[in-house]
Amino acid sequence: MINVIEPGFIATIQDGGRNGYYHLGVPPCGAADKLSFQIGNLLLGNPPFSAGLEITLTGPTVVFEKSTVIVVTGAPANVTLNGKQMAMWEVFKVKKGDALSISYSTKAVGVFTYMCVSGGITVPEILGSRSTYTLGDFGGFLSRKLEKGDAIPISEPLPGAFNRVGKSVEAPYIPRFSKKVDVHAVMGISGNEISDEGITKFLNNEWEVNLESNRVAYRFDGETIPYKDYEPPFGSGNSAGGVVDFAYPIGAILVPNTEEVIVLLNDATVGGGFVMAGTVISPDLSFLAQARPGSSVRFHAVTVQQATQLRLEQKKQLNDLVEQLQ
Amino acid sequence: MLSLPETRFDFCGDEYIFAQITNDMSAESNFKAIAITNELRRRNIPGIIEIYPANASYLVRYDPEALSPFSLLDYLKEIDITKSDESELNMKCKIVEIPIWYDDPVTKEYSIRFNERNKEITESNFDFVMKLNGFKDKDRFIDAHSKVPHLITMLGFTPGTAWTYPLGIPREEIIRAPKYTSPRTQTPKLAIGIGGAFSVIYPTQSPGSYQLIGMSAVPVYEHQQRLEAFKDSIFLASPGDLWKYRTIDESEYRSITKEVEDGTYRYKMKDVHFSAEEYIRKEEKYLSELMEDF
Repeated sequence: MINVIEPGFIATIQDGGRNGYYHLGVPPCGAADKLSFQIGNLLLGNPPFSAGLEITLTGPTVVFEKSTVIVVTGAPANVTLNGKQMAMWEVFKVKKGDALSISYSTKAVGVFTYMCVSGGITVPEILGSRSTYTLGDFGGFLSRKLEKGDAIPISEPLPGAFNRVGKSVEAPYIPRFSKKVDVHAVMGISGNEISDEGITKFLNNEWEVNLESNRVAYRFDGETIPYKDYEPPFGSGNSAGGVVDFAYPIGAILVPNTEEVIVLLNDATVGGGFVMAGTVISPDLSFLAQARPGSSVRFHAVTVQQATQLRLEQKKQLNDLVEQLQ
Repeated sequence: MLSLPETRFDFCGDEYIFAQITNDMSAESNFKAIAITNELRRRNIPGIIEIYPANASYLVRYDPEALSPFSLLDYLKEIDITKSDESELNMKCKIVEIPIWYDDPVTKEYSIRFNERNKEITESNFDFVMKLNGFKDKDRFIDAHSKVPHLITMLGFTPGTAWTYPLGIPREEIIRAPKYTSPRTQTPKLAIGIGGAFSVIYPTQSPGSYQLIGMSAVPVYEHQQRLEAFKDSIFLASPGDLWKYRTIDESEYRSITKEVEDGTYRYKMKDVHFSAEEYIRKEEKYLSELMEDF
């Protein structure tokens, strides 16, 4: 068990997410920054998507009830064990009774920090995943963020776990956390509704992450994106920017009105009737999720071939890392 | 053959293909979306992660490391052609009765409270939608909404939310409503709302942008699986099912919600074979045959 002494801002249990239920309205959930999350698990010798703790901005303080090995990855944070400073991206041992604290770093970049533990967190799976889905009221620990007094079950350390102590990653494997974030998107679908000028303005300008952003979606402020002068189709509700409700991909770039851009993340509302300008490619969702409110994001158009290429490059880097850690 | 234009395909990022059957809504578009996605599911293709029928479109998520996007696109186009014939559009489904307390005080209170997000509307959502659709009489409006079966055309938004679309009436008779200009931050659990040409029941307390016209007495999503109807699935709706709304008064609402609380409520339900071909040919007549003993 891990006992929660202080819950911090928002800490939830996440893994690789749940597949196969999207058409019933269940979004995948899962770690927002899958890249940092996977690196944490790989460092420990875990399967890449073993459940861990996803920490938003700051918190928690937890006490371990057994000896095991852990690692903290993701957005820069201040990590201490019994008050002693610990390095991120490096595996260390915790003993029974040790108190781990994760708090704000003065670097003030990134959003999500991950605490992975040998063998993973072992709350029960629901619909094939341990990820917390707060809106749907299931998964994780009691379907919610951690609260003071929670006791979170963890696995026994895996065979050889203690031999991993001291394993670490360095650049270039550590993702870059910055106030300026670049992501790639495949544009499309919007041909009937958004003007060419709108698409150009979307791609040629920086977009500031709005405070009203969370695991469901990030909102952005920037330019205006004019719509085409089109007749809203039957069934759409007859307002500008309306289309017949459809299923959104994760990463969907929605333009609900000419002043606002929304990108859907892993806890997305699964379908709706807003115009969609394109889709952020899956390997870049990790970088987008780490764009803290106030950061600026640039969207770069790519073809589906380029998107697949970028995906394979990210995968190759992870594979290289696995080899190095052998 | 169905009188539908050619489906439009788009790549969305590296993992999705979106297929738009038509940009406007029709029952035919939805039958085709369901038929194609049923067929795709039956084929069980390795590398396909999600198959999602929507109102007049569908979405497929795939693993591009297991399946080339371009091969999948060609493959979907082939299935699309074979399912453009209405004789291919038969499905097993169930008819379910949903008791609704129309124009109830709770949704009325919410609709007034959130009206600043709703264009220049000052009356309740129920009155607004009733008048907008040319009704002066409350009972006539309720009758128009509840007399025809509604097709489940899509699930989504939040778990268990089902879009329902009326069958058997001409387009101009379908009750319609604009969505809120800015979504309500709250919608009461089990409120029924109308947006565009669709009615939905909100399974849980959530944001929402449809005009609220009443309250369902029965749940549409139950992850604790207490009621008999949720033993096999935590969702009441499945694409292609038919829902029949039935108007109830306050006292019946109270007695049904009591049964739901006690875990004894039994939904009125019937399994049927739905033939889109016969529906397209005979419309209302086919529906009344189908609904005969319901």
